[in-house]
Amino acid sequence: MPKKIRSKVSNTVSGTKNFFLGIPRATRNLYKEIPHQVKSFKEWIFTFRGSLTILCLIGTILVPLITMDDYIMTILISFLVFSIFAASWDLLAGYTGQVSFGHSVFFGIGAYVAAAFVKMAGLPWFFSMIIGAVAAILVGLIIGIPCLRLKGPYLALGTQAFSLILFNLFMSGELKDILGSTEGISALPAMSEAHIVTFFFILIIMVISFIILTIIVKSNIGTIFKAIRDDETAADASGINTTKYKLIAFMISGFFAGIAGGLFALNSRAVNPSVFLALYSFYAIVMVALGGIATISGSVVGAFIYWVILTELFKPMGALGTIFLYFPTLISALILIIMIRFADQGILKPALEHIREFYDFLLGR
Amino acid sequence: MIFQIENVLIFGTVQGSVLALLALGFSLVFGVGGVLNLGHGAFYLITCYVFYLIWRVLFFDLIISIILSLIIAIIVGGVVYLALIKPLQDSHIGIVIVTFAFAVFMQEFVKVIAGIKPHYISPFIFGSVEFLGVTFPIQFVFVIIGSLILVFLVGLFISKTKIGKSIRAVSQDREAALLMGINADRILMITVMISAFLAGMAAILYAPTSAITIDMGWSFLLSAFAVSVFGGMGSTSGCVLGAFIMGYAKTFCSVFISPTLATVFPLLVIVVMLLVRPQGLLGKKEV
Repeated sequence: MPKKIRSKVSNTVSGTKNFFLGIPRATRNLYKEIPHQVKSFKEWIFTFRGSLTILCLIGTILVPLITMDDYIMTILISFLVFSIFAASWDLLAGYTGQVSFGHSVFFGIGAYVAAAFVKMAGLPWFFSMIIGAVAAILVGLIIGIPCLRLKGPYLALGTQAFSLILFNLFMSGELKDILGSTEGISALPAMSEAHIVTFFFILIIMVISFIILTIIVKSNIGTIFKAIRDDETAADASGINTTKYKLIAFMISGFFAGIAGGLFALNSRAVNPSVFLALYSFYAIVMVALGGIATISGSVVGAFIYWVILTELFKPMGALGTIFLYFPTLISALILIIMIRFADQGILKPALEHIREFYDFLLGR
Repeated sequence: MIFQIENVLIFGTVQGSVLALLALGFSLVFGVGGVLNLGHGAFYLITCYVFYLIWRVLFFDLIISIILSLIIAIIVGGVVYLALIKPLQDSHIGIVIVTFAFAVFMQEFVKVIAGIKPHYISPFIFGSVEFLGVTFPIQFVFVIIGSLILVFLVGLFISKTKIGKSIRAVSQDREAALLMGINADRILMITVMISAFLAGMAAILYAPTSAITIDMGWSFLLSAFAVSVFGGMGSTSGCVLGAFIMGYAKTFCSVFISPTLATVFPLLVIVVMLLVRPQGLLGKKEV
């Protein structure tokens, strides 16, 4: 047999063709697809969804430029940070079907590691944030491996167990020297002098994160995720290494949740063990459910509704009594129940349809 | 050393009794409906606060306040079933998310009503008992005796009465039970109510021994889950056995190793058990 053919045969037989440096081809194709994505991006801007997205983005950029108000900027920053967090949960739960209730683990690890590197090592915030996100990837790997054997509700509670383990460890007085106990890490240096600069840094990071997440979801690997979500056995039977792809989903999701956590800590300039609480996982779930499960862009809508509309609605009432400050979470829990019960599509898709009708009407179609 | 072992024995029994009550209900609901109810910790939480409100704020009689708070717990259980679990019975993950939202809702609701400060329910009778050289509050005696009686009664209820037999039938084979003319939905509702009752009982017996805080529901939920996973989901005897083993192990950790490890212990048990033996000690169900 000539050498060329033999190598071809052995390639197909051993399946090495599907791998490159141990990375599955689908992952590698991700990089190949980028030029194609850029090309389609230009066309996409002029479509209905594209123009709407660009309009929203321009609006977000213009708001701080017009008002220059620190308070509004704070609200918008928390909205941006939590929209990354929600989108990362959406990738794991909405696209891959691995519903995790311990997403605050990634958030908290990202926050703690980023804060520690800024405070102890004096690194610039951007690098600490990336290090925090990488640490969150490792945690995703550590959590992902045992949790892969679990399905559905078990996975949810198993991951929640992890978040409570970490909460207790970080809270404990015995490990105070290492983990900081209840005080956590505080008095971090500000991300930048002016609030508005911080805002734009975070906005850029958020936009990049969303572009990457959208590319992932639309690429080959996203299809594999969806296949795992819809029918794991069928995906396994069609030759997808489900274990590997679930782990990849955990890691990607962990990375972005870690970025969100890092930004949260760096922006609030302090971090304490409460970031591991179930409440933060709840934030992610409620924002995604509001926007619509399995729509990455829905997370932005959900985060906007929660952090801008709901929170701000009850803030003026906080003057009447502190109890009103707890209302956003209370009401969002109710909303979550109602959304899951009656409208599991979320707000984004129906709203888009209505806006589209209006858009067509304006254009006289 | 001997004193410490006696400590472990007594406080472990107390922990085990509370865990048995909590896990029994959780596991029953799972066995009958295949439902993981994340609102289980919330049952505990609201009973605590309702009991506190009725007994310590409104100054009702002790017996009346116990009965009233138990009734409220049972009603909440029924409402949770009718409003949240029944409509979503086809999607397990939907139930998990909705009951999770219910737990958060209850936590925030209690926060709005009672504030974030911890409250203290005083014991039924003040004073302490000395047994084996260890002094402990009288309330612990109530916990142990009450829990043993309740576990015994629940066992009797499940094995002897008609409803109990239907509960077992539905948990063994839902389809066949439906064909035999058992109303499986009603049975599941009764089971959720029983679980709420047991969680409420655990709250009333155990909460007076320490402070009640708004976020305690989660750790009790995960303890119940840990015990159920350990003993075998849906197996009653495994649950009680698991609860006592867990109680002793937890106390052992906090006495001999470190209190931090004791709080983390049930969570580690969940992780390890799900990896090593997912069906639990005495369980048969596939995970």
